[in-house]
Amino acid sequence: MPYPLLADSITLELEAQEPWPQLITLYQPYEVEQILLPDNANCLAVQAFLKMCGLDFQIEPRSNAEYMSPSGRVPFIKCGQFLISDFDSIVTFIGNKGTSLSDHLSANCKADMRAYISLVNNIFINAELYICWVDETTLNEVTKIRHGSVYPWPLNHYLNWQKRKEVIKKLNVLGWYNKTLEEVCNEVQNCCTALSERLEGSDYFSGEKPTEVDALVYGHICALSMINPSLPRTVQKITATVQEFPKLLEHASRIGRNYLNNCMLESACDFEMCASSSKETLWNYSESIEALPPLSEDSFEILLLNP
Amino acid sequence: MGTVHAKESNMFRNINGSSSNEKENFKEDNPSLHFHEKMNLLERKKGQAVDLHLKARVDRIHVDGLIRTKDDIIKAQVTELFKAQDFYDIIIHAYKVREKLQDLGCFGNIGIYIDTSHGPHATPEGVEVTFMVNEMRRLTGGISTMVGNNEGSVIVQAKAPNLFGRGERLQMEYSYGSKSSTNISMSVVKPFMGSSRHKILTGSVFNTSNRFPWSGFSQCDKGLLIDLAFNPDGTGILKHNLQYEATYREIISSKQMSFRVREQCGPNLKSALRHICSIDKRDSLIFPTTGSLVQFSTEVAGLGGDIGFVKNELTVQTNWTPHEYATFQMGFQSGLLRGISNDMKINIADQFFLGGPLNLRGFDMRGCGPRLDGNSLGGNAYWALALHLYTPLPFRPGRHSFGDLFKLHGFINGGNVSNFTFKFANDYKENMKIFKEDVRCAVGGGIAMKFGNIARVELNLVMPLLFVRNDVLQQFQFGIGLQYL
Repeated sequence: MPYPLLADSITLELEAQEPWPQLITLYQPYEVEQILLPDNANCLAVQAFLKMCGLDFQIEPRSNAEYMSPSGRVPFIKCGQFLISDFDSIVTFIGNKGTSLSDHLSANCKADMRAYISLVNNIFINAELYICWVDETTLNEVTKIRHGSVYPWPLNHYLNWQKRKEVIKKLNVLGWYNKTLEEVCNEVQNCCTALSERLEGSDYFSGEKPTEVDALVYGHICALSMINPSLPRTVQKITATVQEFPKLLEHASRIGRNYLNNCMLESACDFEMCASSSKETLWNYSESIEALPPLSEDSFEILLLNP
Repeated sequence: MGTVHAKESNMFRNINGSSSNEKENFKEDNPSLHFHEKMNLLERKKGQAVDLHLKARVDRIHVDGLIRTKDDIIKAQVTELFKAQDFYDIIIHAYKVREKLQDLGCFGNIGIYIDTSHGPHATPEGVEVTFMVNEMRRLTGGISTMVGNNEGSVIVQAKAPNLFGRGERLQMEYSYGSKSSTNISMSVVKPFMGSSRHKILTGSVFNTSNRFPWSGFSQCDKGLLIDLAFNPDGTGILKHNLQYEATYREIISSKQMSFRVREQCGPNLKSALRHICSIDKRDSLIFPTTGSLVQFSTEVAGLGGDIGFVKNELTVQTNWTPHEYATFQMGFQSGLLRGISNDMKINIADQFFLGGPLNLRGFDMRGCGPRLDGNSLGGNAYWALALHLYTPLPFRPGRHSFGDLFKLHGFINGGNVSNFTFKFANDYKENMKIFKEDVRCAVGGGIAMKFGNIARVELNLVMPLLFVRNDVLQQFQFGIGLQYL
């Protein structure tokens, strides 16, 4: 086992030598026709995080983003010679470069933050996966069409089948596969309640300034609440659940306004669906099939392209 | 040779011709000679002048040992024997028939016996030909080793020959290579035996995975291949293969790969038609001394799927032996790949690569051509030319036996692979660029060995003469494989 550790330390060292800041390119699936709910949430979260850090980035849509990613999950960023995928790894990587949103927090607050991140990752991602791949209506009406859209017949059917099998296997392990839709909605509701309570009256989770949690929650709330009304009823149910929490919606629209300069959630505060610019954008999916990412420092996986 | 025999007395009887004398001769002959001492015809031919062009007629053909093989396919194979005019013809045709029967893949050993015909319908010059066949068992299998392109592999296979009695067979094969490539395939073969030309239809499904560390990716293929092979002239010199291939290919990134390669990762579907035409007049596959091979293949991908291209490849090899101790061999390969539309992609797996111990010697595997960050990207056009001079080992140790497996060779080879846009206008200069700019060249010598008459092993010392800064050079090379330049 010394090898991964060694690789990590080498990577760290090399990382330190890279000039900073570099141009960041964010790779993700096509928003309009391909992306599914969980991926969309992650992509939005990463975008929000990078914006909060004040880093410039370019979005590069690729139909095979999932396969290009070193970890098999989207989104991933390319920064100089490094490829970093997953929200947590990206946060760590940017942190190593000296840009961190949570440095000013006390150790206690940081621990809290990690707990909330893991809560969000656990509940929202699994719920999103459940809706996309387990719920029959959504699966047939939306997921299969979108996920298979970039592949030729008959490959699309095969890949949909393969992906579904993979997701189900994961959900089964986590005990989500056998839940009913109501139970899933309940989980989401509980999670939202917890987040909402934490938020109370403040603008962001840790006071005046946004942190990683804010970015992550923004991504998920945004993706979940913005679901197009034309989508199946089952999805609407989850949307309705999320929309019972005006504080979270407000929080999301605040981030959207302040950092992403979009008005996506402007009207969401009125509990209305907004079918504005991103009507179709809402679904993202892809490979977020991943269990709760470990939070330790060495969890990041950075791909060294070539020194 | 050993299996064609004629009974000595038959010869004499035929020579004598008259049926009334036959009994006399027969009685005078030593019966044991008649029944047991079979004579090899060729030896006989050398020793004593026997008029093989004696008129003879095949009255009857027996095939002994048929159990489940259907009569009609056997009939189709043997009828040509009836056309034989004289004894010599009979022997030649009997050989051909035996080959054809062997090609059916239903029989083990096949013996041929020729006897004069008996019975009421026998004609004066009549002979009867008997093929003693041994049908294979319903299920056979085995474990063997194979050498592929620079890799050794273990093969486990099972075969069910002659499933329905007409030469159909089902075979399964699993191979595991030393470079962790795996290959599972299952194929159904159905020969169509016409009178003169026959076709073989093969359908197979396969699952292979290969690593290409030189290009930084590994490839996983699942696919279907339908192949129709036929040789119009019936001699096996000219061969055509028409193939349809539908493959789901997944390009998997390795840890450290160039971003240009990474961009091509993911699944894609190739659906292609291929035509391979080859004329092979060489006397041997590995160390030919005379004859040439011309092989032309055309592949069109894009009938469905998301991969689209037209690929042409030409392989030429010609051999010349001015003296027993010197054989010249020239090999030439070239290929051209073009896209057919903007919607259809060309994947890195379709590109041409050059370099390797049995390819362009002096360069590492995929060692020349466009590269980025240490990964070979391949090109859409290439050519490679090699000139060899082979000699037997000095002082000829193990002559006519083990020593003949080895040859010394000196060679000079060159080539180029690059990306270029082919202009069909008369832009001669632009199109000839690949032959003029960045040409790679290397000279060297070494020892070559043939391995089971299908593979070739080479150990060479090479000196690259012309190369480009990016190229990966190798001075000592050990290569093992089926195809060579």
